[in-house]
Amino acid sequence: MRRVSVILSIVLAVALSVVGPALAQSKEPVKIGLSAAVSGGSAASGEAIKRGLQIAIDEINAKGGVLGGRKLDLVIRDDEGNPQKGVTIARELVEREKVAAVFGGLHTTVALAQVPVWQELKTPYMGAWAAGTNITRNRQTPNYVFRVSANDDYVDRFLSRYAIEVLKKGKPGLLLENTPWGQSNEAGLTKWFGEKGIKAVGVERFNWNDPDMSPQLLRLKSAGADHIVLVANAPEGAQVLRSKAKLGWDTAMISHWGISGGRFAELTGDLSEGVTFLQTYTFSGKQNERGQYVLKMLREKYGVKEPGDVIAPVGTANAYDGLHLVARALDQSGSTEGSQVRDALENLKGEYKGLIKTYKRPFTPEQHDALTDEDYVMVVWKGGKIVPVTMK
Amino acid sequence: MYGLVALGYHITWATSRTMNFSQGHAVMAGAVVAYTVFVALGWPFPLALVITLAALACYGALVERIAVRPFFLRASPAWLLATIAVGIIAENVAQLTFGKDARAFPSPLMQKPIFVGSAGFYPQELLVPVVGLLLMGMVQLFYHRTSYGKQLKAVAWNPEAAGLMGINIPRAVMASYALSAILAGVAGVLLAPLLNVAPQMGTIIGLKAFAVAIIGGLTSAPGIVIAGLGYGLVETFTAGYISTRAREIVGFGLVILVLVLKPWGLMGDKPSRRV
Repeated sequence: MRRVSVILSIVLAVALSVVGPALAQSKEPVKIGLSAAVSGGSAASGEAIKRGLQIAIDEINAKGGVLGGRKLDLVIRDDEGNPQKGVTIARELVEREKVAAVFGGLHTTVALAQVPVWQELKTPYMGAWAAGTNITRNRQTPNYVFRVSANDDYVDRFLSRYAIEVLKKGKPGLLLENTPWGQSNEAGLTKWFGEKGIKAVGVERFNWNDPDMSPQLLRLKSAGADHIVLVANAPEGAQVLRSKAKLGWDTAMISHWGISGGRFAELTGDLSEGVTFLQTYTFSGKQNERGQYVLKMLREKYGVKEPGDVIAPVGTANAYDGLHLVARALDQSGSTEGSQVRDALENLKGEYKGLIKTYKRPFTPEQHDALTDEDYVMVVWKGGKIVPVTMK
Repeated sequence: MYGLVALGYHITWATSRTMNFSQGHAVMAGAVVAYTVFVALGWPFPLALVITLAALACYGALVERIAVRPFFLRASPAWLLATIAVGIIAENVAQLTFGKDARAFPSPLMQKPIFVGSAGFYPQELLVPVVGLLLMGMVQLFYHRTSYGKQLKAVAWNPEAAGLMGINIPRAVMASYALSAILAGVAGVLLAPLLNVAPQMGTIIGLKAFAVAIIGGLTSAPGIVIAGLGYGLVETFTAGYISTRAREIVGFGLVILVLVLKPWGLMGDKPSRRV
C-alpha cells in the first residue's frame, strides 16, 4: 500500500512537472529579446530598432499573437556597444528571460562576439542593423544568425556600381573610420572596384572624434581622386564635410549609411546638400501599405511629424520586417524551441508582403541575409531632408 | 586650442600646487551650458556668454570645495582622483540632461571658409589662438600687476607665511579654481562651433591639454601657450605628412621626451626646495 502510494505520487509529480509548465506556458507570452545600444552616441539606432519591433509586436498581438493565442513580449537590454557586455546579455536573455529569439543592434563588434553564444544556446538571432559581412557568413553549422539589414559585402558592391555606372567615375578615394567596420569595407570596396579593373587612388583613415580631416582629404585630392567613398558615422562624417568645404574641393561623395545614425543634417547645415548614401529603406517618397501603416504608428506612438523626422529609419524598417519574419517562423514551427524556429526561418513558406520588399523564402541554408544590393536604395540630402535618388 | 585649456591647469597649480584633472570636462560643461542658453533657449549671445562664465565659476568653486579642499588641507594627493571623479560625474549628468548626440553650435564665423591660395580655414579657427594669447596676457598681468594676483602667488610660494600675512588661503584657492573654470568655459564656447557639443567631448581635450601643460611647464603661462601652438602644429604636420594614425604616437611621445630631458617643462621653473 505504502509502496503504491509512493509510486503514485512519483508518477503524479512527474506528470505535473511535464504538464504543469506546458499548461502555464500556453498562456504565457512569447518573449523576444533585443540587445542593442540604447545609450551612448548610437542611442538613436537602438531607439529606432525598438520602435520597429514594438510596432510589429502590437500589430501581431492585436491580431491574436502567435502559436494560437500567445502574445509577444519585448525584453530590451542595453549592450552599450560593448562586446563583453553583449555576451553577458545574450546569456541572460536566453537563460533567465527564456526568450525565443533575439534581435541585434548597430555594433558589428557586439554582433560578432555574440555569434558563438547563439550557436551554443540554440537561439535564433536576427540582425537589424550591424552590417559586418562575417556576422551572417560565420562558418557555423547550423547557423543561428539571420539578418534583415545591409551586409558590407553587398553594400560595397552597390556603392562601387553606383560610382561606376551612375556617376561614371573611375578614380575613387576611400575615406574610412579606423575600426573593424572600416577595415571590413576597405576589403569589400577593394574587391568590388577591383572586379571592374579599378584601383582606389588613395585609402585614408580617421579616428573617432577627430576634429579635422583636411590632411586626409588633401592627400586624396593630390592623388587625383574624382569621387570620395565615405565610411563614417554622423559626427566624423560632419567633420569630413567641413574640412572638404575648407579645401574648396567640390567633388562627388557617396557614403555608407553610418552618417544617417545621428544628427547629420543639423551638424553639417548646408554642407550636407548633395551627399548621397545608401539605405535599406526610406520613409520619404511614395509608401506601400505597410509604409503608411508604420508611419501612422510612428506618428501616434512616438510623435514623429513627417517622414523626414524619422530617426535612424533603417533601424525601424529592418526591425519591423525582421519581427514579422520571426513571428511567421514561430507559427510555422509550432514551437518556441530554438532549433525548430531556426529551421523554420531557413524554410519559410508562403510570402510576406513586407515594408522593405515582398519576402519569398528570404533565408536558405546558404543565404542568411534577407536583403541584398537588389533591395538597397540610394538617397541624397536635399535641404536637410533625405530624398530618394532614382537610379538610372 | 590646447593652450587655452592648459592655462587652466597652470592657474590652479600656480596657487595651490593642485589642479582639476577634469579640466576637459569643464570645457564640455562650458559648451553644454552655452548651447542650452544660446541655442536651446535662444537668448542673445552676450547674455549667454555671461551666464555660461558665471555658471562655470560656480562649477570651479564647487570642484575646489568638494574635491580639492578636504585633501589639500591634509596635504593628501587624493584630490587627483577626486577631481577625476567629479569630471566623470559631470559627463554623466550632461548625458542625462543634455542627451547623448553631438549637437551643432552655430557661429557666424563658421559659415564660409576664407581661402589663402588653395588652402582655406574658418575664421573661428583663427579666433581660438587669438583669444588664447589675449587671455594668457591677462593672466600674466593679473599675477604680476594686481595685489590679489600677487596674493595668489604668495599662497603657492609659502602657504603658512601667506596665511600669517592675513591671506585667506581657502578663499584664494577657490578663486583660482573659479578662474580656471572660467577659462575652460571660454574654451568651451570657442571650440563648440568647431567640434560640436557632446558630453564626451571633454576627455580627449583635457588629456591633450594636460600634455601641453607638461611640455610647456606647469608654472609658466607663456610656456604653455607656446607649447599649445607647437603641439597643434606637430599634430597637423604628422597627420599631413606621415599618417593620421601616427599623430597620437608622436604627440604623446613628445611628452615623454620632454619629461626625460626637462622634467619641469620647456619653460617651467625648477621647484625650489624648502629646508
